[in-house]
Amino acid sequence: MDFSVDDAARERIEALRAFGREHVRPAGLEADREGRPIPVGHAYFDAAMQHGYGRTRWGREDADAGASNTRMALLLAEEFAYWDRGVMIANPGPSLPEQSVIGMGTDEQKERYLGPFVAPDRPRWACFAMTEPGAGSDAAAIQTRARKDGDGWILNGAKCFIGSASRSDWILVQATLDPTKGRAAQRAFFVEQGTPGLGPFKTEKKMGLKAYESASFSLTDVRVPAANLLGGEARYERKAGFKAAMQTFNAGRPVIAANAVGIGRAALDEAIRFAREHDLLGRDRVRDRIEAMARKVRMARLVCLRAGQLADLRRANIQEASMSKALAATVALESASLGLELLGAAGARGDALIEKLYRDAKAMDIVEGTGQIQRMIIARQLVGLPRN
Amino acid sequence: MFDADPGEELALVVETARKFALEALQPHLREAEAARGVEGSVHEDYHAIGLAGLELPEAHGGAGLSSVARALVNEELGAADAGAALALDPLGPALHPALEMGLALEPLAAHGARPGSRVVLATDLDGQVSVGGDRVTAELPYVPADRADAVVVLAGDTCACVIEGIAIEPLRGAGLRAAGGGRLRADGPAVATVCDPAGAARARARIRLYVASLLLGVLRATCAFSRDYAQQREAFGRPIAHHQALAFLITDMKMAVDGARLLVHEAAWRLEAGLPAEAAAASALAQCVEASRTVGPDGVQILGGHGFMADYPVEKHMREARALGLLFGGFDAAVEEAGRRVCGNDAPLGLVESALS
Ligand SMILES: Cc1cc2nc3c(=O)[nH]c(=O)nc-3n(C[C@H](O)[C@H](O)[C@H](O)COP(=O)(O)OP(=O)(O)OC[C@H]3O[C@@H](n4cnc5c(N)ncnc54)[C@H](O)[C@@H]3O)c2cc1C
Repeated sequence: MDFSVDDAARERIEALRAFGREHVRPAGLEADREGRPIPVGHAYFDAAMQHGYGRTRWGREDADAGASNTRMALLLAEEFAYWDRGVMIANPGPSLPEQSVIGMGTDEQKERYLGPFVAPDRPRWACFAMTEPGAGSDAAAIQTRARKDGDGWILNGAKCFIGSASRSDWILVQATLDPTKGRAAQRAFFVEQGTPGLGPFKTEKKMGLKAYESASFSLTDVRVPAANLLGGEARYERKAGFKAAMQTFNAGRPVIAANAVGIGRAALDEAIRFAREHDLLGRDRVRDRIEAMARKVRMARLVCLRAGQLADLRRANIQEASMSKALAATVALESASLGLELLGAAGARGDALIEKLYRDAKAMDIVEGTGQIQRMIIARQLVGLPRN
Repeated sequence: MFDADPGEELALVVETARKFALEALQPHLREAEAARGVEGSVHEDYHAIGLAGLELPEAHGGAGLSSVARALVNEELGAADAGAALALDPLGPALHPALEMGLALEPLAAHGARPGSRVVLATDLDGQVSVGGDRVTAELPYVPADRADAVVVLAGDTCACVIEGIAIEPLRGAGLRAAGGGRLRADGPAVATVCDPAGAARARARIRLYVASLLLGVLRATCAFSRDYAQQREAFGRPIAHHQALAFLITDMKMAVDGARLLVHEAAWRLEAGLPAEAAAASALAQCVEASRTVGPDGVQILGGHGFMADYPVEKHMREARALGLLFGGFDAAVEEAGRRVCGNDAPLGLVESALS
């Protein structure tokens, strides 16, 4: 048993902390104030590129580093979100779809779609579009259709809340060959920006996490070549399609959990700072709230790291991963909420960081599987909850 | 780097404790409750497999194991019968002030070596306790014991031991009846007295972890029992566990216990590693108690009316979890101590700093 953080992680956290203080927090506050995503061309993105963001880990010697050291990745995800979780998602790079492309893409697809992220000439983005106006949690119910047309595919449908969609070089779009056949009939397609029929993009007005763009768009007779089917047709003929997604361990949900821990920790630090500056630390009601925040954030972090450790050991962690996500999301919100109570009426002014954290935190229980969906996943293992 | 697995050596200790708990304690929990104690042969077995002197230094005949071992063993014993676990441990949490503050261990070790011996801990978090001059007085509304061969008192930064002038007036007890239970009065000469603020703080941390880990065991047991029951029991044409309201409740119970456990283990590891652990231990106990407020009653709820009856262990779990959470200052004192430390000027801002320290 060992609850320490090793020197390598410590050093990287320190470096990220300096970057966070200087660049991330200011960019996040500015976006929140102005109520819009960080615009393309903003100086923040240059700083992020200089700091090493925006690149793919495909082809690098440490390509698997994220997977083999999930715990390190989680500590860094926590630290980034501590400074601003919205800015983290706004970062350039192949983001969410990167892992799918590395895991399922053909060599040509990796070269074509991840290649430009190896040594990018400018900030570049890519994104993954699953959610639709009519289907979010129930991903098997998506309606965006893919129809074979000669040597290509025609896509029709609508996607919503997709991160960085309008600025992405390409969007990995999840579509179905037959909406009555559920997940087995789903395929993912690379749709390049500028393809006729893609868009228009509507940037959503959000409660929080304003630093990154969440866009909704339609696909109207969007034609893509056969080569744009993720993994290529041969892959599906071998019926390998969704098996890849059915892993016994999960390293993605703990990352969201770690983000939530970072938000909760930021709220805790803000609450302590406020209480100290206003000479409130001597009051029981103040100390009790701070203690509760510190305790829960600490617990959420441990749950998250435990899920990460199991992933590193390639041990089953489906329950732990979902628990970390469900728990940390509520802890982040509770921490911000308790923190606001310390501020009292000043918290209602709308200009305190902790008030922003309260709004930001709510999304953590929604994105990448709501708290209810996590509980369903856990309950399937715990009590054999049937899928239907 | 973060590693929450116990490691091979401790896994063996846990396995031994689990086997003993399942074979010697669990099948007899109602008898032990009625008899207000466990059978003599169970005491003998407990000593024989080395659980009696778990943390007692080897020089005093103990196994010299760490706080982490204690936390793991207590969870196993607590999951079977927390009252019996207290009855069996001759020194119990009374060892910790002695160990951390340098009270002469010989007399205590002698009790520790005798099956059936009980040394009771009285702290100023539970009632009136004072050490003045050479005299110790204590008046506690409840201790989980019917009798005591010695009482170790912890009052502020001072710890003392008393063996004469101890009286325990038996009470029914809300739970933990296998340990006995009564009102404690002690008024007698101090056999030894030590004042050590830092040691006292660490002792409080270990006392809290002792209780927290027993409590974890009770909560784990209620989760497991009610979960299994919910998969067997049918209502409206399917197992009750397959109604989402209960499936989510069972999930939340497990989540609460698994989260609290990591806090307990982290605090225990900090103690073992010689790091500041007082706030971590206090928070760990607070979280276990907070979890017990819902997990205990939810265990009963899942069994419905059957849960309310003594035919099933969940009503006992609910009572005992509540009783454990009231010992040694319980939630309030733990939150008070953790809050003071987290908010203290010496406490660094940000948890990563504290995790890294
Ligand atoms: C800030 C933000 C960024 C996002 N970014 C992206 C992105 O980049 N790409 C992308 O594809 N999507 C993205 N999303 C969408 C997100 O993944 C979905 O919003 C989420 O999966 C929930 O789907 P929904 O909104 O359709 O809610 P619904 O699925 O309609 O759910 C509504 C409510 O019903 C509950 N519910 C649903 N099914 C069940 C059930 N079986 N049992 C119990 N309760 C149930 C849910 O928990 C929820 O509380 C983003 C969302 C947000 C808020």
